[in-house]
Amino acid sequence: MNLANRKLTQILVAAVLCFSALRGVAQDAKLQLSNLDKLSEKAARVTDVTLDGSLLQFAVNMIQKIDAEDKDVAQLQSIIKNLKGIYIKSFEFDEASQYSKADVDGIRAQLTSPRWSKIVQSMEKRHNEYDEIYVLKNGDKVGGVVILVAEARELTVVNLVGEVPMDKVAALERHLAPGEKHSDKPKQKKESGHDQE
Amino acid sequence: MHFSEDDLREALKRKDPGEGFTQRVMARVNQSKAESKVQQATKKPNGKFLSWWMHRPAWAMAVVAVLLLACGIGGYQYSEYRHAEEMRVARAKQQQIQQEAERARDQAIMALEIARAKLNHVLQHAQLQAEPANKIRRERL
Repeated sequence: MNLANRKLTQILVAAVLCFSALRGVAQDAKLQLSNLDKLSEKAARVTDVTLDGSLLQFAVNMIQKIDAEDKDVAQLQSIIKNLKGIYIKSFEFDEASQYSKADVDGIRAQLTSPRWSKIVQSMEKRHNEYDEIYVLKNGDKVGGVVILVAEARELTVVNLVGEVPMDKVAALERHLAPGEKHSDKPKQKKESGHDQE
Repeated sequence: MHFSEDDLREALKRKDPGEGFTQRVMARVNQSKAESKVQQATKKPNGKFLSWWMHRPAWAMAVVAVLLLACGIGGYQYSEYRHAEEMRVARAKQQQIQQEAERARDQAIMALEIARAKLNHVLQHAQLQAEPANKIRRERL
């Protein structure tokens, strides 16, 4: 009886530790982006997306209903089903230098933990462009991704929490953008680069 | 008129009520009680009304049947109204959830679209920056 109790306790402790570790990973991967909120007043265009918990589950369920046969929808599902949160703050300005270095450093400071790795960095000092991609390692999997685009007239932070299949995200078709997803128009070819508009 | 002292004494002296005085008083009291009860009974407003219905049982049954029917129809209509109202509230709630879910889906798609665009943008920039260095390396080789 004692042995069984001890085993049960060990299993419970292990489960709690695993749960806290997973929770820790999710919390680590989520950045605090509230310091950027003040830029909304200066920006000409603001995109603010916060999707997590039940809202993300709603989105997953709704995406499943679009068209299960569609290859691109299936790809979208495969990306989103393992995500725990999507947080985006994007500011586009009419004039240059509307945000400070401190604003960007506030984001970078959260990525100094050894678990975060900067996998891509692109710097163009002439045009004041700093683009970076960070990945949170969770064993041999990706636990989170941060895409930081700091340009003269734009500051964008994309924070994906959870298992992110980067190759699939990069290969997503553009026609899945809202408003186009149900249209019968021929699929647009994937455009590379800065083409969200 | 003048009374002498003897007259007054004669008038106020104790007199014997005679035998059976108590019984007579009690009989009088009971009689007045009975009379007042009879008076109250005849004054009841429902008395005539009830007696009218008591003498017309068919009419009474018909009125009871009409009342029961009216209550039944009223109850049914109320339950229908309640049911329709509950259905309307449930539909509105479901519609709201649906709208919320659609908004969440659109947001998710937009978010992934932005993520894709930015990811490719950064990768392209990094690639463009790497190209001159590779070119120089190739030239050196």
